[in-house]
Amino acid sequence: MRIRDLPYPDPGTPDVRSGPRFLLWLSRRQLGGQVKALAWGTLHMAAVAALPLAVGTTVQAVVDRSGARLAAAGGLILVLALLTALGDTMLHRAAVGNWITAAARVQQLLARRTAALGATLTRRVAAGEVVAVSAGDVERIGWFVEAESRFLSAALASVAVCVALVVYEPSLGLVVAAGLPVLALAVMPLLPRATRRADEQREKAGYATELAADTVAGLRVLRGIGGEELFLARYRRASQEVRTAAVRSARMWSLIAAVQVALPGLLMIAVVWFGVGLVREGRVGVGELVTVYGVVTFLLYPLRQVEEIAMAWSFAGPSARRAARLLALRRTDDGGPVPGDPAPGDPAPGESVPGDPVPGDPVPVLTGGLYDPGTGLEAPQGQLTAVVCGDPDAAGRLADRLGGHAPQGTAGVPSARLGGVPLDEVPLAAARAAVLVQDKDPVLLAGTLEELLDVPSSGRVTAEAALAAAQCGDVLDSLRRSSADPSAGPMRAHVTERGRSLSGGQRQRLALARSLITDPEVLVLDEPTSAVDAHTEARIADGLRELRAGRTTVVFTSSPLLLDRADRVVLVREGRAVATGRHDELLRTTPEYRAVVTRETTPEPWIGEPA
Amino acid sequence: MIGVPPPSVDPAAPESATTLPVGGPATVRRCVRELLRRHRRALALLVGVNAVAVIASMAGPHLLGGLVEDLAAGDDVQLGRAVSLFAVALAVQTLFTRIVRVRGAMLGEEMLADLREDFLVRSVRLPPGVLERAGTGDLLSRVTTDVDRLAEAMREAVPELAIGVVWGVLLLGALTATAPPLALSVLVALPLLVWGCRWYFPRAPRAYRSEAAGYAAVSAVLAETVDAGRTVEAHRLGARRVALSDRRIKEWTSWERYTLWLRTVFYPVINLTHMLVIGSVLLLGGFFVLRGWMSVGQLTAGALYAQMLTEPVGIVLRWYDELQVAQVSLGRLVGVREIEPDAGDERVRPSGRDVRADDVRFGYGSHADVLHGVSLDVPPGTRLALVGPSGAGKSTLGRLLAGIYAPRAGSVTLGGAELSRMPTERVRRHVALVNQEHHVFVGSLRDNLLLARPEASDEELWSALGAVDAEGWARGLPDGLATAVGSGGLALTPARAQQVALARLVLADPHTLVLDEATSLLDPRAARHLESSLAKVLAGRTVVAIAHRLHTAHDADVIAVAEDGRISELGSHEELVAAGGAYAALWRSWQR
Repeated sequence: MRIRDLPYPDPGTPDVRSGPRFLLWLSRRQLGGQVKALAWGTLHMAAVAALPLAVGTTVQAVVDRSGARLAAAGGLILVLALLTALGDTMLHRAAVGNWITAAARVQQLLARRTAALGATLTRRVAAGEVVAVSAGDVERIGWFVEAESRFLSAALASVAVCVALVVYEPSLGLVVAAGLPVLALAVMPLLPRATRRADEQREKAGYATELAADTVAGLRVLRGIGGEELFLARYRRASQEVRTAAVRSARMWSLIAAVQVALPGLLMIAVVWFGVGLVREGRVGVGELVTVYGVVTFLLYPLRQVEEIAMAWSFAGPSARRAARLLALRRTDDGGPVPGDPAPGDPAPGESVPGDPVPGDPVPVLTGGLYDPGTGLEAPQGQLTAVVCGDPDAAGRLADRLGGHAPQGTAGVPSARLGGVPLDEVPLAAARAAVLVQDKDPVLLAGTLEELLDVPSSGRVTAEAALAAAQCGDVLDSLRRSSADPSAGPMRAHVTERGRSLSGGQRQRLALARSLITDPEVLVLDEPTSAVDAHTEARIADGLRELRAGRTTVVFTSSPLLLDRADRVVLVREGRAVATGRHDELLRTTPEYRAVVTRETTPEPWIGEPA
Repeated sequence: MIGVPPPSVDPAAPESATTLPVGGPATVRRCVRELLRRHRRALALLVGVNAVAVIASMAGPHLLGGLVEDLAAGDDVQLGRAVSLFAVALAVQTLFTRIVRVRGAMLGEEMLADLREDFLVRSVRLPPGVLERAGTGDLLSRVTTDVDRLAEAMREAVPELAIGVVWGVLLLGALTATAPPLALSVLVALPLLVWGCRWYFPRAPRAYRSEAAGYAAVSAVLAETVDAGRTVEAHRLGARRVALSDRRIKEWTSWERYTLWLRTVFYPVINLTHMLVIGSVLLLGGFFVLRGWMSVGQLTAGALYAQMLTEPVGIVLRWYDELQVAQVSLGRLVGVREIEPDAGDERVRPSGRDVRADDVRFGYGSHADVLHGVSLDVPPGTRLALVGPSGAGKSTLGRLLAGIYAPRAGSVTLGGAELSRMPTERVRRHVALVNQEHHVFVGSLRDNLLLARPEASDEELWSALGAVDAEGWARGLPDGLATAVGSGGLALTPARAQQVALARLVLADPHTLVLDEATSLLDPRAARHLESSLAKVLAGRTVVAIAHRLHTAHDADVIAVAEDGRISELGSHEELVAAGGAYAALWRSWQR
């Protein structure tokens, strides 16, 4: 796979039975890239390894006073120069290519898995863990996969050079060949402790960053009420702890650096001592001694690769395990995701990425009135039904159930029915297409307003109409104001993550506009205007009624302004629909209803005399 | 066509206007100079220790050169002496390499700690008006992304560069000292290197920044898909989220491809430079030896020095662009210094508690005014409700009354003294703004309360919690006041978070409160419970309440109806209903 052709049309089905298997699967997917990196790496190593030969030849030529051989050595250096440059660059290209393709593939797998798990994901895995895998672990996995071929070529070159050295100068060669494994293994015992300390430091740094971010996020509170010094002192402590941990980690790494100086140095001394003896006995030439010295210098380079693969493994092992566990999660309908089948498998039966319908997909036409057997709640087709429910949590659960395939599981409760069809029994995608449940806390996704409002829809409701019905005029104004390019118009303005730059009421109205654009067969809204002022709420109620005329709409609310405009109002208490009628009827006939609703309209004590 | 053009989509481009200033080159230079001056002794020590390590590392080639010369001349070789010198040099090099690493880390970490702490110190001194207007997003990205980037540079680039530069200079010195003519051969390679650097370095930092931003964007899309799982599923956005991830991957990898191309040009330049140096040392040196201008020993040592040059040059080139990236981040960090921390005038003191707005006009930045001549008088102890449609300027007026913004024309006074001229610390002793933002800080419940009155005792904290009906659940927490709350700790429900915010108010005890939709984000049941807590807090204070719910307005002493940046109606509930204006119409529809 070339970088320019990324992303993969299909990232494949990973082997997620364990971390190492996942790494193996990734490596095998890019066998071509690995072979290429191995080949270029070997060429590069060979060219670098041959350089001491050129140096030795030159010195020997000079010692022997041979101009012709000096010129030949010059030619050799030129060839080596070109080969080194070529090998190094091409190795780098191949290795980075392997890194990028591996990282891109894992990111694509993660994106597909999280989309398939949808609302059920965070019930089993902390959201932070998914992000940690994507932001940190993928990089380490890519690093290991990429380092494999460099390690192999380094190992190949070291062995070849040792063999050549033994052939070229047996006695010196044996000294080097014996010393090399010691050098390669010497720092290994230090590595686990060093990586542990590095992790400790990262953890402390993460905490300090979190403290700083938290302080800044709450800065308006701090500036409004005080306590800056308290939080500064706390951050300073955390910051100093990071410093201490970093220095502690650096001490360990400095020890490794010192070992990497001392041991090769000792080998050098051994080579010189032994070599000079051989020269004096006349068994080797002066040039050959210089060559061996240079070769030992060279061998330090592949040695680093051995250390690197060990380090990469110590980081990538846990990372691959985390990624594999995440990718193994599957959606089930009655308890959220469960760890997947131990076999590398296809998506679980019935699982699909909900989204635009695939042409030719047999989606049953779902239409008719909505009925929930659990509560006896009925929402006739084409009407605006308001639901009053004293307990907001129960209201949320009921709203979820009205859409079928409820994220928190529906064990024991019969499924809501649309036109008589139990929603839990139709495919997830079809159920979501028929009924849209907008929960209490709908999330605005980052992007331009245009992108935000571009959702799968019937196409009958324009963005303008929906924005007007949801009273979003002032939202457009403030978006235009905050835009990097105010002349581009509000549809091109950026909505930040979760709409944080907007007020609570503005966020609610934008979310409502988005749901209106979708124009589903049934629209279920849970407290859609709780953060909106009364003036605006009244206008939204009118807009909603007009735009949804002839469509089925269910609104969970206790606001008289909305209740007044509903075709029918249902009072739900302790999981049962206990009264149905129009708002004014219920106010007259049902004391309990009046009690629930008028709590809203009774003057509250707090602005008057204290209770 | 050979080569890769830079991709057209730049993930590092700002999406929202940069709201806070960015330090220019002069500010950054001044900051670096100041930093170096403050740590000059540690820096000098690092350079000194480093020099020792490098000089010791050159003993090997020097001794080998001597041996080779003696051997070539057939002289008697003092092997024992050479080897013991070699061993001593090695011991020194080992020890000092260790010290260099440790000292380098200590210096880098200290400078970094200085920078990040200084940044936070300056951030928490920012005027509330700046924060309110700029939002905290820009500041947040500086304290996370830019501090991290700088950390990377300080942790590795600064010590490595310090090592690389000293090492390179000393090696060149050694080469020159060993055989002056050989130093000339370095010049042979110089033009190539200069050309390569002049091509690469103007392009690289920006490209790496975009590449890093592109990679972060890939993770950000995934994080958002997870966070918005319910919304994504409800709106059937799964396929689009996957497509968006793929698009971000495409954008990120196109930058990877571009930077790879930059290195495809630059790496051969570095490689060829090294080989040119080694080759010219060997060939020129060999020629000189043949001519008898130089000895074999000089040639050997020189060639080995030339070979050793590879590493320091590589270090310098490798870390140099990191330093350039760090410079941009540093600019963003020190940019905060350019905002005047409006200290206010210590002499401006309120006499009395009367809050008054007089013909106030106000607009955001260069935009048109949102308040057009508002006058309002709130005598001590009055409860005033501010109602009106979204965008009428209610919240803006509230912020002016709380002293967060200064009016463009007209004045807002407390007890006759202009709020905008008082120091923030004094304003907040008198007036507090309570809004939907009920931030719970990472830390203990105690920390979350103490910020309002740092010297408060535990009894005072408990009684403040009691005053807002929060003592019950707080007593039930596993570790009481020491329980860790906020992100990563125990999650408080919005209602409890708001109670904590109210308990802070009790502790801070300002006599005037501006309430901006304080309870509107809560579900009605929680809001009701909270309102009784709030009622206790409000007792005996002047209150300006921006009201969403009409019942909030009903019992206020005075109701002000805001429309299009003006106060259109003013009076008690009964008066306004009788007047038959906009308020009366709304009240009727609410009452039906």
